[in-house]
Amino acid sequence: MFNVNQIARFGEGTLVTIELTLASMFIGTMLGMLIALGRISKRPLVNKTTWVYVWIFRGTPLLLQIMIVYLAIPMIYKQVMGERMLMPQFLAACIALILNTAAYLAEIFRAGILSIDKGQFEAAKAVGMNHTQTMTKVIIPQTIRVVIPPYSNEFIMILKDTSLVSAIGLLELYRVSKEMSSSTGRWEYLFIAAGVYLVMTTFATWGFGKLEKHYSRFV
Amino acid sequence: MSMMRGEHIYKSFGDLDVLKDVNFEIAESEVVCVIGPSGSGKSTLLRCMNHLERISSGKVFIDEEMVDYRGDNKDLMKIEHKRVTALCMELGMVFQRFNLFPHLTALENVTLAPMEVRKTPKAEAIEKGKAMLKRVGLSDKADEYPSRLSGGQQQRVAIARALAMEPKIMMFDEPTSALDPELVGEVLEVMKDLAKSGMTMMVVTHEMNFAREVSDRVIFMDEGRIIEEGTPEQIFGKPKEARTRAFLSKSNVKI
Repeated sequence: MFNVNQIARFGEGTLVTIELTLASMFIGTMLGMLIALGRISKRPLVNKTTWVYVWIFRGTPLLLQIMIVYLAIPMIYKQVMGERMLMPQFLAACIALILNTAAYLAEIFRAGILSIDKGQFEAAKAVGMNHTQTMTKVIIPQTIRVVIPPYSNEFIMILKDTSLVSAIGLLELYRVSKEMSSSTGRWEYLFIAAGVYLVMTTFATWGFGKLEKHYSRFV
Repeated sequence: MSMMRGEHIYKSFGDLDVLKDVNFEIAESEVVCVIGPSGSGKSTLLRCMNHLERISSGKVFIDEEMVDYRGDNKDLMKIEHKRVTALCMELGMVFQRFNLFPHLTALENVTLAPMEVRKTPKAEAIEKGKAMLKRVGLSDKADEYPSRLSGGQQQRVAIARALAMEPKIMMFDEPTSALDPELVGEVLEVMKDLAKSGMTMMVVTHEMNFAREVSDRVIFMDEGRIIEEGTPEQIFGKPKEARTRAFLSKSNVKI
């Protein structure tokens, strides 16, 4: 059922899925952290802007967001600037996934920060630490432990949701298996894809479990 | 010379007036205990002096330098933020609930601020940190996380953490109120040693025996005002005010 060529296509698809997941989560985490800090900020403009961001990206379908980045933005660009804009599929997929996951992660991080006792902020202030020092040395290290389970959840969601970018023609794991299945008339490919997703999500769950244990050593 | 002074301090939380025209000062090497019933404003006063709460009006001085000022029109006089931070670093704070950093070991709790804020080199910070832990009798607990320490040990680490910044004044906000009775003694011992070493201290406490034994001056507060202040002999021996007497008899202090 599998020849070398097919195995290579499956492997490539899997690789695209992994790349999409890691790139989106990596940049999405940083963006999400910034948005979370904005959400807890007392500055009205920062606070409101980030609220609107989360409202939009959590409130609309990811598939639609992918289409907007891939199709609508180049169209708008052409209308405004009068020239074509190059929007590679992988880049479009990454941008949409990053913007989407950042909104969810921001809420996860915000909840994590708010779960830290007010006394920690006071103790940090009392020993003379500024806001940045307090955040990076006292609050965020404690937040990590709290946010790992929901973060792990979001990671797995994004891993699976990368399948949505097949809609803009990117050959990731799901699309490869679907194309192989419909061109050969064999159903097995879809189940193999499911198996590969399961292996990846299991591995991720295991990894985050380890991480959680590591960050809980002080409890 | 006064190390810390509050002039006409008012503080309200919404409609609730917690401090009403409080005036007081603490001289160098003086140990001042603030006593009074719950809700009398004594913790709020300490927190206002430490910039953890902003006063509603009045003036706060540390080391004869103004760190907080609010006039009648509630306008905040411009005091450079950096200067305020620097002056507040001269205050060491010990909280009722310890507030140790749970993700750091006892030693790391003590060395974090010197390294981050004072930029002390790591080796030097560790050396000093160990000396501080030794001072509070916890040399053997340096590598333990707070969760593995008893309340009394945690509070002693918290004292070491504050001392590591080499403060000019140590402030204690009901440091033994969250402790089991059998653990109170070890914390008070450390505080007594500190007082003997000449540290300037402001202690909000319910421990009447400690106040009587250790303090140079006792301030009695009720309903947001200082009702009476004097030497421990005066306050505990022959209090002038009826409210002080009532409070002391409720606290089972024999006058």
